Formats: sequence, structure tokens, C-alpha cells
Amino acid sequence: MMTFLDWMTGLHGFLFIGMILAALGMIAVIYRRNSIGILLGIELILNAAGLNFIAFSKYRTAAIDGQIFTLFIIIIAAAEAAVALAVILRLYRLRETIDASEANLLRN
Amino acid sequence: MSETAKIVLAVAQLLTVASALLVTFHPNILYASVALLFTFLGVTVMFLFAGADFIAGVQVIVYIGGVTILVLFAIMLTSWLYQIKLRDTRKRMAIPFLLVGIGLVPFFYKAAEELANRVLSSPPANFEAFAGSPKTNLIGEALLNNYLLPFEGVTVLLLGALVGAVWIARPR
Repeated sequence: MMTFLDWMTGLHGFLFIGMILAALGMIAVIYRRNSIGILLGIELILNAAGLNFIAFSKYRTAAIDGQIFTLFIIIIAAAEAAVALAVILRLYRLRETIDASEANLLRN
Repeated sequence: MSETAKIVLAVAQLLTVASALLVTFHPNILYASVALLFTFLGVTVMFLFAGADFIAGVQVIVYIGGVTILVLFAIMLTSWLYQIKLRDTRKRMAIPFLLVGIGLVPFFYKAAEELANRVLSSPPANFEAFAGSPKTNLIGEALLNNYLLPFEGVTVLLLGALVGAVWIARPR
């Protein structure tokens, strides 16, 4: 008989937590008005993707490739965070706000 | 896996989900980004339990030591110093979003169940031994053999991203 603790600590738990993290990240992207909050949501989604790669690299292939992909995800997330924060600083200088719904420079 | 290890992993998963909820729903962006730090910490522990020791170290260095601090700096440089609109979520939407999120959980549970059962029906023979072995060596060899081209590409990407970030944020 499989207890809930066994369920959560096996592959099921990894996938379950990954889905919850990805969903929370998407909700944050929609729900937040602060640009930095949206960035936090994107980081959550990327971390959930990495978690899935790691879990499958153990339980599906037992090979290193999934971990390499997670490494690339982490690198790209770092680059993305640096560029996004630069854009936010720029927006703040131009508009004195980091509210995403007031960032309408490209409209019209 | 021993019972103690299972409990540690379950606590890490609980920490991950609880702090991710704070990241999504806390009205103060500063507290949300500090909560993100704990989410990363929980995910790091999960990485360790899935046999990714090197990735866990990278996660601590890059996410906890880098990205979170960068986000905190951005908050300090923009809204924090001037106290403008720190509390700016779509407050009226909080309850609907929470309800949608809670409603999705059973679907996630069922999907994780189905997918994991399908994967685990033909598991690789040696996966427990693989998870227990050190990975730094393997990752180094893989990066310089099969993944050499993406590795070089990512170095160029990082350089471009950093130069671009400095150029975008330059003073006028």
C-alpha cells in the first residue's frame, strides 16, 4: 500500500509540485501589476520546468542529459532576469513607475 | 529512501508551495521576492533528492545569490526608495484567482498520478544508483562533448545579455 508520503516523495510528488509552481507562476504573471512581480512569476515557471527535467532525468532515463537542460534553463533565466531588470530600471526613469499597465510606450 | 529522508523532502515541498503562494499573492513586492528565496531553497532540496547535486549548488549560487539579490536591488532602486505603489496587485482579482488555483489542484493530482504511473511502469534499471552517484564529472564531460555547441552558444548569449542590460540601463 502506497501512503501519501510515498506518493509525494516519488516521481508523483515532483510532477505535482512542478505543476503547482508553474500554475502559481502563470497566475503571478497575470495577477501582478508590478513589473518585478511579473518577473518573479517567470522565475517560478522556469524553476518548475527545471524541476521536471531533473525528476525525469532520474526516473525516466537515469542519464545526465536532463540535468544539462536544467543547467541551461538556469543560465538563461539569469540572463533574462538581468535584461528584464535593466528594462524595468529604464521604464522607471522614463515614466516614474513600474506598473505594467502604464507601460504603453509601444501603443499606437 | 528512509522515513526521515522522506519527511525532510515533504517539508521542503511544503516550504516550496507555501512560499510560492506568498510570491504570487503577497501584496508587498519586497516580501514576495524574499519569499521567492525560500521557494528556490525548497526546490534546491528537491534537486538534491532527485540526485542533482551539482545543479543544486548552481541553483544556490545563481538563483539565491544572484537573481534574488538582483531583484531586491531593482526594488530598492525603483519603488522602495520613493514609496510609490508598493502594494499594487489586482486586489479585486485575488479571490477568483485563488479559487481557480485551488480548483486546478485535483486536476494536477490526477495528471501527476497518470503521467508518473506511465513513466514508472518501465523504469530504468539503475536509477537509484544513478541518483546516488556524484554528477560533477558527468556534467563536465557532457558539456565538452555532446553539448559543446549549446555551451558555447550560451556563453555568447550571456555576454550579449549583460552588455545589452548595461546598454539599456545606461544613464542618458
